[in-house]
Amino acid sequence: MSKQQVRDKVSTILFAMLSVCLLLLVWQLAVSGTTLGKMFPKPIPVFQKFVESLTVPIGQYTLVQHAVFSLYRVFVGFVSGAVVGVILGIAMGRIPVIDAIVKPIFNLIRPIPGVAWIPMAILWFGIGETTKYFIIFMGGFANVLLNTYAGARDVDKQLIGAAQMLGANRRQIFVHIVLPASVPYIFAGLQVSLSTSWMAVLAAEMVCAQEGVGYLITGGMNSGNTTQILVGMLAIGLIGLILATLMRYAEKRLCSWKIRGN
Amino acid sequence: MGQAQASAQTKITQPEAILNVDHLTKKFGDLLVLNDISFDVKKGEFLCIVGPTGCGKTTFLNSLTRLYKADDGKILFEGEEIDPQKHDLAYIFQEYSTMEWLNVEENIRFGLKVKGYPKELQNERVEKVIKMVGLDAYRKYYPRQLSASMLQRVVIARGFAVEPKLLLMDEPYGQLDLQLKYKLEDELLNLWQETGTTVIFITHNIEEAVYLSDRILVLTNKPTKVKKEMINNLPRPRKISSDDFINLRNEVTELIKWW
Repeated sequence: MSKQQVRDKVSTILFAMLSVCLLLLVWQLAVSGTTLGKMFPKPIPVFQKFVESLTVPIGQYTLVQHAVFSLYRVFVGFVSGAVVGVILGIAMGRIPVIDAIVKPIFNLIRPIPGVAWIPMAILWFGIGETTKYFIIFMGGFANVLLNTYAGARDVDKQLIGAAQMLGANRRQIFVHIVLPASVPYIFAGLQVSLSTSWMAVLAAEMVCAQEGVGYLITGGMNSGNTTQILVGMLAIGLIGLILATLMRYAEKRLCSWKIRGN
Repeated sequence: MGQAQASAQTKITQPEAILNVDHLTKKFGDLLVLNDISFDVKKGEFLCIVGPTGCGKTTFLNSLTRLYKADDGKILFEGEEIDPQKHDLAYIFQEYSTMEWLNVEENIRFGLKVKGYPKELQNERVEKVIKMVGLDAYRKYYPRQLSASMLQRVVIARGFAVEPKLLLMDEPYGQLDLQLKYKLEDELLNLWQETGTTVIFITHNIEEAVYLSDRILVLTNKPTKVKKEMINNLPRPRKISSDDFINLRNEVTELIKWW
């Protein structure tokens, strides 16, 4: 890392810290001795409660256990959505018949947000885990499919031609040209899908769950515990941030040819 | 009269032909692009194809290699229907068709790899051509990090590496600087003489065509036909300032004037 880069990094971190401090300061001032303070806790109790609930259960589970519940649901829904999205997207992008058949149905389903499936899912699957997986799946797979489809469809024809001329067969063209050319698109889809999956799990848990971070905030609402709501929201924000960062890191590793500069 | 002359030229037969193009016709919708083109290419010949801008030179090459499906006609390579999976071909496009996710070395290796050549042979060929195009120091670079002329050198090296029996080039040097163009023209001639490969080279640069070729096919405007065949047996190495060279260049230039 050059000196300039170190300096840039340090200043980014300093500014980030400054902005967080500013937020806390405004929060503290806004709730000190005002009517807002009666329905909104101060920052310090929220952080105390946050740290405390890492070991002391809220409801039946600690904060960490709630987070694990939510993450596991996201994992199942997101991964199944990603698998279906990638396979179907590539099939649609490369095989005109499949495109012609699937696209009209998909275009109809796509604008329906994942959460709109909640009532139907509950009637179909009850209030168990399957319902939550289904909602997350419906919330996430469309983004993966759309991006994969765009990537697979728009592979540079000349590249395919060049490979064909060098003697590549259909399988080799698929493995060595179509797939790698689609990877950046797939990643863009996965990134969006992961964040919509994370939103969908919260919605699902707010409606039908006794555990998970979505349950934490509705539980807080039902008992009038604003601190618990804020603890839940803080956890949601942090986990979302971590997921997005991990995803970006994975993309950087796998698509280094796209990003690596001089 | 001109019409009669042109149709008399439609079949140009060569002894010991490696490639026979027979009544090649290509339409895009109602637009007739290639109008019944027939000619042969001799084994080991260096054929240049010139023609006015937009006369369908690229369509011609794409149909020849079956990247486009021709509407009519037969293309035989060594007596069989041409097939890139069976015959050793290389096609160097006008645009840089590098694979972005492969570095320079991996790009050059691509054709050797899909053909399943043994590792040692792959290495040997890659080393040879990577030095030839002067990209030895850039072998681990990705296309994104290279300039336009370097990208084209990668593509040229990738084509050369498979030591094709038929090398098709579509204005490959059009976007390179002059010095590099001269160097790569000579490299191409060396390679051609060394390997005895057959080359079809499309260009709009008449000087280039006269410098490189054994024979020049002059195409007409759309719908494209072969207007004239010019035998070019100037002694090699050629001097672009010699009288014979200039005469032939002027003669070809006269033929492709459309104004």
